[in-house]
Amino acid sequence: MTLAAHADAGQANTGMRRVHVGQGEHVVTGDASVMLTTVLGSCVAMCLRDPVIGVGGMNHFLLPDGVGTGANAARRYGAYAMEVLINDCLKMGARREQLEAKLFGGGRMFNTLRDVGGANADFAEQFLRDEGIRLVGGSLRGAGGRRVQYWPATGRALQRAVTDSAALPEMKTVLAPAAVPDAGAVELF
Amino acid sequence: MPAASAIHTLIVDDQASMRALIRTSLQDLGFREFREAGDGEIALREMIARPAHLIISDFNMPNLDGLGLLRAVRAHPPTSRAAFIMLTGRADRELVQRAVQFGVNNYLVKPFTVAQLKEKLETVFGPLT
Repeated sequence: MTLAAHADAGQANTGMRRVHVGQGEHVVTGDASVMLTTVLGSCVAMCLRDPVIGVGGMNHFLLPDGVGTGANAARRYGAYAMEVLINDCLKMGARREQLEAKLFGGGRMFNTLRDVGGANADFAEQFLRDEGIRLVGGSLRGAGGRRVQYWPATGRALQRAVTDSAALPEMKTVLAPAAVPDAGAVELF
Repeated sequence: MPAASAIHTLIVDDQASMRALIRTSLQDLGFREFREAGDGEIALREMIARPAHLIISDFNMPNLDGLGLLRAVRAHPPTSRAAFIMLTGRADRELVQRAVQFGVNNYLVKPFTVAQLKEKLETVFGPLT
């Protein structure tokens, strides 16, 4: 959905608007004062933007793992979650060839045989490779949850561990904009 | 009762991963003959060059969207009888009504299951073997 349709936009004193993206949701905006935020466990969020026109957004998805769903069903669901975010960016003027993405989440939340978070992370990385969309950073896998903040207009992203900060993997940085100090959080370019 | 393997299909979507998933689903149902196009314009050229029996097309695409492709296919006698299934998102109900006006055979809401795809195909072709 585009931000105009999103009813949960909070107004901070700084003039920055904070918008939460829940599981199964996506938000796209061209408003430079908007910061998107979400909390991820084994779910994955794709932060996507066109840096040329300053439009971008975030989704938050978990591949289904229920009865009657196989690997293909899960991929169909995941591909759809990605598609709606991409399409809403394109509708706001973004160009597919200019899109760049950051991926977060896919943490291993429970010590079970099946690594749900890892499967979500694998899917998201493969999707970007298949679609030819540049992956410019982010943080996937590791153990525990993370809170992610993303500014679509600038591409700035910030990650904070929700559980055990030592369990999250090192940030990957492909592009390197100026760092912004923020005590207690990890700046992601 | 047509054999799925005899139905030549054109899969139209601007996402390569979605085209691959549709192809895999059709293969599960016994389909064997596929071509793919990344937007409506390419699909129309493909259809004019060699008509397919079935078009499964996304709606949101650059250059020529699914509705434009449907109208163009229906307006061109050599391609006008092709079966056309439109893929839509949850919020595209108005689109479905417009597509029906332009002669779409059926529609499928994403994300879909293989069983749902089979059901839609069988409303168009009858039971598939």
